[in-house]
Amino acid sequence: MGFFGKEKVNAAVTVLLLFAVILVFTIADIAGEDRLYSETENRLLASKPELSAENLIRGSFARDYENYVTDQFVSRDKWISIKTYVDLILQKQEMGGVYLGKDGYLLEQHSPEDYTRETIDKRLQLLKKLVDDWEADVMLVPTADNILTDKMPANAPCFSQEVFLEEVRDLVGSEHYVDAFSMLKEHSEEEIYYRTDHHWTSLGAYYGYRAWADFAGEKPYPYNTDTMVPASSDFLGTLHSKVNIAWKKDSIYYFGETDIMPVTVTYDMQKTTNSLYEEDYLDTKNQYGFFLDDNHALVEINTGNQTGKTLFVIKDSYANCFVPLVLPHYDTVYMLDLRYYNGRLYELLQQYADDADVLVLYNCIHFLENFVYS
Amino acid sequence: MGIKMVFSSVLFLFRFLPVFLICYYVAPGRMKNFILLLGSLFFYAWGEPVYVLLMLFSTVTDYFYGRMIEKYRDTGKAKIFLALSVLTNLSVLCFFKYADFLIQTVNGLFGTSVPLLNLPLPIGISFYTFQTMSYTIDVYRGEARVQKSLLDFGVFVTMFPQLIAGPIVKYRDVEERLESRPIDICTISNGMKRFCVGLAKKVLIANNVGELWAEISAMNFGEISALTAWIGVFAFAFQIYFDFSGYSDMAIGLGMMLGFCFPENFNYPYISASVTEFWRRWHISLGSWFREYVYIPLGGNRKGLPRQLINIFIVWMLTGIWHGAGWNFLLWGLWFAVFLSLEKLFLGKVLSGLPKWAGILYSSFVVLVGWVLFALETPGQIWSYLKAMTGAGGMLDSRGLYLGRQYLVLFLLAAVGSTPLLANAVRRLEHSPSGFGIALYRLGEKVIPVVLLVLAVAGIVDASYNPFLYFRF
Repeated sequence: MGFFGKEKVNAAVTVLLLFAVILVFTIADIAGEDRLYSETENRLLASKPELSAENLIRGSFARDYENYVTDQFVSRDKWISIKTYVDLILQKQEMGGVYLGKDGYLLEQHSPEDYTRETIDKRLQLLKKLVDDWEADVMLVPTADNILTDKMPANAPCFSQEVFLEEVRDLVGSEHYVDAFSMLKEHSEEEIYYRTDHHWTSLGAYYGYRAWADFAGEKPYPYNTDTMVPASSDFLGTLHSKVNIAWKKDSIYYFGETDIMPVTVTYDMQKTTNSLYEEDYLDTKNQYGFFLDDNHALVEINTGNQTGKTLFVIKDSYANCFVPLVLPHYDTVYMLDLRYYNGRLYELLQQYADDADVLVLYNCIHFLENFVYS
Repeated sequence: MGIKMVFSSVLFLFRFLPVFLICYYVAPGRMKNFILLLGSLFFYAWGEPVYVLLMLFSTVTDYFYGRMIEKYRDTGKAKIFLALSVLTNLSVLCFFKYADFLIQTVNGLFGTSVPLLNLPLPIGISFYTFQTMSYTIDVYRGEARVQKSLLDFGVFVTMFPQLIAGPIVKYRDVEERLESRPIDICTISNGMKRFCVGLAKKVLIANNVGELWAEISAMNFGEISALTAWIGVFAFAFQIYFDFSGYSDMAIGLGMMLGFCFPENFNYPYISASVTEFWRRWHISLGSWFREYVYIPLGGNRKGLPRQLINIFIVWMLTGIWHGAGWNFLLWGLWFAVFLSLEKLFLGKVLSGLPKWAGILYSSFVVLVGWVLFALETPGQIWSYLKAMTGAGGMLDSRGLYLGRQYLVLFLLAAVGSTPLLANAVRRLEHSPSGFGIALYRLGEKVIPVVLLVLAVAGIVDASYNPFLYFRF
């Protein structure tokens, strides 16, 4: 009898323990407040769907509610960390689309099959048209996986941007092609990409600038790479958010020379400041936003130089730390981010870029995903 | 297919399950069935707000046919009602599952262009129609008593643990427990542990290797190496086993928590030394359903070898097509029928003379090639994948080496998990003569399910993690 009693007590402990675990999370989850936005994941989280007869019958309520409950689940970020640790125990070198490279490098994964012939052809046709219409120059920057090849896990699949860029050069002609790839490859031993973020560093952008100056036949401004100014030493970027585990933090530097030039920056024709840098971002998760106030549809920078020249940049966020470096060569620089601009690019160029230099500046991946010309 | 509420979701684990269990355990005696029916209908209607009516129709008609069979027992009318029941169930199943497949086939053969119905497949229809048929057939045969209570019968058909993915519970398996079931704490505890193990199998192993198979199956098969192709087929084999058996574990575990005793569905199929043995260990409840209601009525092995072989082909073609309306599933069934027949003819004798590992090697090969037929839909895909497995695209490539390196540990875990090694070790510990061993077991049986639950929830929450970070940048 005593034995069976013990058996029952033992079973009861197991049942209570497991039930308590489920109940505690259930109650904590229901009691928790909904979040609109996840800073770590940098995206809007699903919100509570509205209940209506139509939603219910079509089944969309069930799906939306499921997404809502999962997105808003209590301590979401911690669960994601746990999952990453499980992957680490399983000896995986990639998780959530990110490679865990050598020397603390997180590198964004780009599989060859993600970039089909059709995608590439579609974007290149648009690019060719833009170059023909506006004599535009093209500077497509390779991402870290293509340059820091020795940091990548052995045999890791990688969409070859070298091959892609050769195609771009053949298409637009070398008179329109800025070769950032070779210059970055030459300096691949240096700190040209962040370890926790998908962007290039200010040093990387500097080598991009050198490649641009070589191409344009401009005398490069004598920036001193030894006296770059630290802006932050606790930067954990977008790639880190995807894995969300304890990691060595990055530092953000910028060229002090760019900060003493007199400039007027106008964002979206509304907000005007006299600095290229916005320190407020350094207190947020999105520290890269420090450069030119994150992303805007249209940015206008006036320098007061007497060069008589204007530059119009069609760009992604890679340009934000690059553009400050080219300012000495221009009176005015416009930056257009197509992801935030709803109008027709052609009309905008007619308005602003009639006798400006036009530069297309993206990283290769953003170019393939976002570039349009209409 | 609609959006079903799966066990491996936040919604089920942290909303439906706790609320349901509390109501269920608090409810007195006969009220429990009412709560179970209500919970099950909610569970089903969550994903199928319309088709829930179809399931209720099925329930009510078979309840009625059962009553009629009983009423007219030993008269010709009983047979008519049985025929009506089978006809209704098969018509419902055929209409919703196979109509488009038949239309496509007819269009293909005769060049006609009959429009497709494009009906979504009602969730679990293949399972519950088979369950209700088992009821009317068994009542007719006198192997089960007629169910007079519509409530109890409704509980049998709609019971949420096995509603979506089995095991296929025969009516007589649960007949007694429908009316009264002892719910004791030891069974609840074992059920909860079983549920956690199943959840972990599904989320930690099946979902992970499933991603690998998704990656490989999206490649151009003309260009992949033999290494990559074999990694892919192992990934699929582990995915389908851990997914399906994990789901069965969860169903059986939930059943135990509610006081039911569902039949086992898997018994380490990948250690089988023959194809015959594989089918005794794989999806047992489906195999036994076909055996009892098709194979044996057709004569089984009692009418001579040629007839037996024909019966095998019939049953395995049906088994194949049961898994999905597609030619590849039919081919998959036929593939097994061939080897089962060969084993009946001579191969079985040859195998029994060989060492066990040789049998395992042979049956694994048959099963793995079978998974290629199962997983890929068109003959062209199947053919080029099989060619890739023989090395048509080279033996090794860097992609294969990379994927092998990424999934080595998981594959080893899955391989060990496909054998009884772990379960045996646990059992030895449980019955260990030393006090230390037993203490270790007592601790482990509490800590490990909690750990598995937590890790699985992490996997579930993370799976919804949106990797498209760029849309706000």
